[in-house]
Formats: sequence, structure tokens, C-alpha cells
Amino acid sequence: MSLKGHFLNQSDPRYQDIALQTVVDHKGDFLNLLKQANYPLRVELPSENAQHATDIEIAHSTTVVAVLYRDGVMIAGDRRATAGTAVIYDRAEKVLQIDRHAVLAISGSPAIAYEIARMLEHSFQYFRRSQLQELSLEGKLRMLSRLIRENLSMALQGIGGVIPIFALYDLNAKADANGGKVFFYDALGAHFENVDFATTGSGSIWIRGVLRYLSRFGDTPLHGMDQRQAAITILRLLDIASEYDAATSGYNAKVNIFPNVKIVTRSGVDTISDDDLTTWYAEAQPEQT
Amino acid sequence: MRDEPYRWIEAIQDRRDYIEDQLRPGSPVVGIAYSEGMILLTIGKGQRKIFEVHDRIALSAIGHPADIERLRMLVTDTASVQGFQNATEDVNLHRLTNYVLAHTFKQAFESIVGEAYIIKMLLAELGSTPEKNLFTGINFDGIVQTDTNFAVIGGTEMIETGMQNYLANAPADVDRDLTAALRLGLETWAVGKELSTRESEATDLEETQIDTTQMYEIVDAAREDGEIEAGVLATTQQGSSKFRLLTAQEVEAALQ
Repeated sequence: MSLKGHFLNQSDPRYQDIALQTVVDHKGDFLNLLKQANYPLRVELPSENAQHATDIEIAHSTTVVAVLYRDGVMIAGDRRATAGTAVIYDRAEKVLQIDRHAVLAISGSPAIAYEIARMLEHSFQYFRRSQLQELSLEGKLRMLSRLIRENLSMALQGIGGVIPIFALYDLNAKADANGGKVFFYDALGAHFENVDFATTGSGSIWIRGVLRYLSRFGDTPLHGMDQRQAAITILRLLDIASEYDAATSGYNAKVNIFPNVKIVTRSGVDTISDDDLTTWYAEAQPEQT
Repeated sequence: MRDEPYRWIEAIQDRRDYIEDQLRPGSPVVGIAYSEGMILLTIGKGQRKIFEVHDRIALSAIGHPADIERLRMLVTDTASVQGFQNATEDVNLHRLTNYVLAHTFKQAFESIVGEAYIIKMLLAELGSTPEKNLFTGINFDGIVQTDTNFAVIGGTEMIETGMQNYLANAPADVDRDLTAALRLGLETWAVGKELSTRESEATDLEETQIDTTQMYEIVDAAREDGEIEAGVLATTQQGSSKFRLLTAQEVEAALQ
């Protein structure tokens, strides 16, 4: 029995057969559940248009940065969205809470990135609700790998690539240890753990060296910083990125648009308030004497 | 058999008697609205009975564990797909109970050649305002009952009526806190437990004859080989998912 094209038509008797009679064990796999319900997981281009881009530029038009600090992970992103040389939006949210202990920072095609974030959030919830336990840290990492890999054809065509940073807190870490974890992904979905920082997007090349310098030679190493120090460092880094990268916005004083800054700690995900950012931004920009 | 209406009705009645016999010893479940949301509670013996279905929907049931699991997955899958396809706010309990579950229950119950579900289910939906909170109970034959303030499921209709009477006579306190709701829930559970131990001939007496001290003695006795399980849908819960199970410490603190 084919239900293709009938997903939304819930009055269709064939849908009712599925909805009312059949309970398939998806083993907590939300993607399988969506496939059974005929949700289109991929956007397929017509074959005549499906040509691979000759020059694949995936990570672009943003700066996101994550730092392992004393209590966990601080992760931040600028707010600019661009199309070519035009700034089309200055309040984009690029740092997205996925669950109580996970945050995804996105760079690349926004449409695909937001869909991946939404899919990830629902996948974790579905696993918890159906299997009666939280998805493991390794399970969460693999789910994101799978979503990025599913999107490979879009990435290869140069129109829908996504390179995220994934920050989580490992609740199995010892009480006195830092359970913060930061991972970056390549376009094929392989994940790599960063031990001190991660940055991606077009502005990242301007701050990667600074981060390395701070991590290795800074007065306070990144992992020893408290929340205030880490926030000031991150605001400065985004400021530097915006100086050199037109697709990255800095702090917009005229309308008070700050970067998104979130922390992932043992007690969960929290967003740094604009009040704190106002104070710390002032400290981050001392008057030149 | 459908060609012979009398035999069909007789078969349905036999089936009803059989299922009610199976459900009779089930540990009751109590649902109560409180100032910050809704609580579902029971005292169980190891098998988890209170579940998260979606962001603002929780489920509990008594009956056969295999049936509970199957129907829990049915409603969880349906809610998850709908919540992803549209938005999580677009998932609503009315549709899940009346369209998905009630139909399934009824169909299984009346298909006398097939297996029936041995189950009674209680679902709770946290509304955008307290007035929109909704408890929905579904009987094994597909009959749906709703209430905004409290709801119960128990092994027999007599047990349920006794528990409902106790809740209806409790001081009307719309602002009761979680501790007060938990205690009221346990007292109601004890009323149900006490009614379930009576001889079936005494079923016309639906008012409880025990006082509060005796209720807590029943609760303490039940806790010797079981434990209190309570889940809340709380507006104060951070994030979109409003469900959480209460910890053993929270339950202990409420009983002090």
C-alpha cells in the first residue's frame, strides 16, 4: 500500500489504517518515523539542474565560536544574514538550543541549518519519550552526523551546505570535572572533538589564530576563565571578525543588537542576558589612552 | 456471529466482564490541577506508569503492560509526527484521544474475534491558561470523559466514583501548591485502594469510610513493596517540554 502524497490527508482511509492500526517499533529513531509518514526528508533537484558546484564554498557568511571555559562551554554567534554583498537581516539567531544540555551553532545555508536543528531537537525528544531515557552523548553526535550526511547532495551542489558546531554537557562527567564538550563537523558528517575552542563561518579565519594564542599563551588560559572573562573574550573575538569579514556583524549600538551568547553547564543551557552583555561589552572595549 | 445480534451482544458483554475482571486489581491513577500545572500520580510496583507524550501532554494507564506500551507508542508517534509537521503548539489532546485512541479502543473492543485491549488510560494536557487544562480518561470500550480540575482511573467504576467523590468534596483550592496536590492525590489513591479491597457485594457504598490517618497508613503499607510515582506538567519548567517526573526527594519532602 502506498501512501505517497497522502501524508497531510488524514481523512484518507489509507492514512487511518496506518494511524490507527499499525504501531511500528522505530527503536526511538525519529527519522524512520518520519519516513514511514512520508515526510520528505530531502530536497531533490530536477536532474538537469543537479550539477555539482565547481567551487564548493560551504562555510560562509557568519562567525560562530565556542570556548571551553571553567564551568562548561560558552558559544556565540553574530546576528548578520547576507545574500551576496547585501545584508538582508541583522537579528538572525545562529546559536540554537537543542535540549537542556545541547546547543547547535550554525553556519552555512540557513534553510537547511534550521531544519537540521529542528530535526535534531525533535529526534532527541522522540528518543526520550519513546525509549524512556535520554539519548546518549554518542547517540546525539551520530544523529547530527546522519543529518549532515543526508544533506550531502545539497552540499555538493553548493547550495545547501551546513557546517555546525555542537556544544554539549556530559552529565556523566565527575562532579568536580568539566563535562563541557565541543565538536565540529565536516560536510560528510564526521565529527571531531575540540579540546579548547572551535570556530566556523567566513569570519572564523580571522580569529582562529587569536584563539590559539589565547589558549596557549594567554594570562588566563581559556579553560580557566570564569563566565565574565569568557564572555569578554568572545565579544572581542566577534568584534575582530566583524572588522575583517563583511558577512559578520559586530555589536550594533544604534539598536542594541548583541551577538547571541549561550552557556552550556551542568545545570543546563542558559542565555547571557543583554544587560550582562551591555556591561561586559563596555569592559571589552576599553578607551584607548 | 454479527448475523445473530443476540449472540453478538452477549459476546460483547462477556468481553466487558472479562476485561473488568482483569482491570480490577490495577493501582489507581489520580490527576489533579495545581497552581503551576497538573500532576499525575500512582503507587506502582516497578513498572513505570506515567509517561511523557509530547511537550504539554502526559499519559498514564492501568491494564496489561503490553497493551499500555503499544498504545503509548501509537499516541507518542502520532503526536511526534504532527508536532514536527506543523508546530508543537498544534498538537492537541482532543484529536489524539477522540480520533486516534478512542477509535482504536472501540474497534478492538467490538471486534469480538480479535484481541481486546485491557486498558484504561488517563491523559493530561497543560493548557495555555489554567482554564484550558484538560484531563481525558479513555475506557477500554472507547468512551472518553474530560475534566479540567481532576480525573481518576481505577479498576472498577465503583472505585472511580468513590475517588471522584473524595476529590469533589476536598476543599476547592485552585491555588493549591504542588505539595498540597501531591498529598490530596495520595489520599485519593488510598480511597481507591480501600474501595478495591471491599467485597464486591458492598459496591453500592461509594463514599469512603476511612479518615486521613488511615489513608496515610494505606499509603505507607503500599510503599513497603511499591513506590510513589508522580509526573507533572509544569508551566515553570524551562524549555518547551513541560513534563518531568518528581524525584524521590520531592515526594519525601511533601510527605513530611
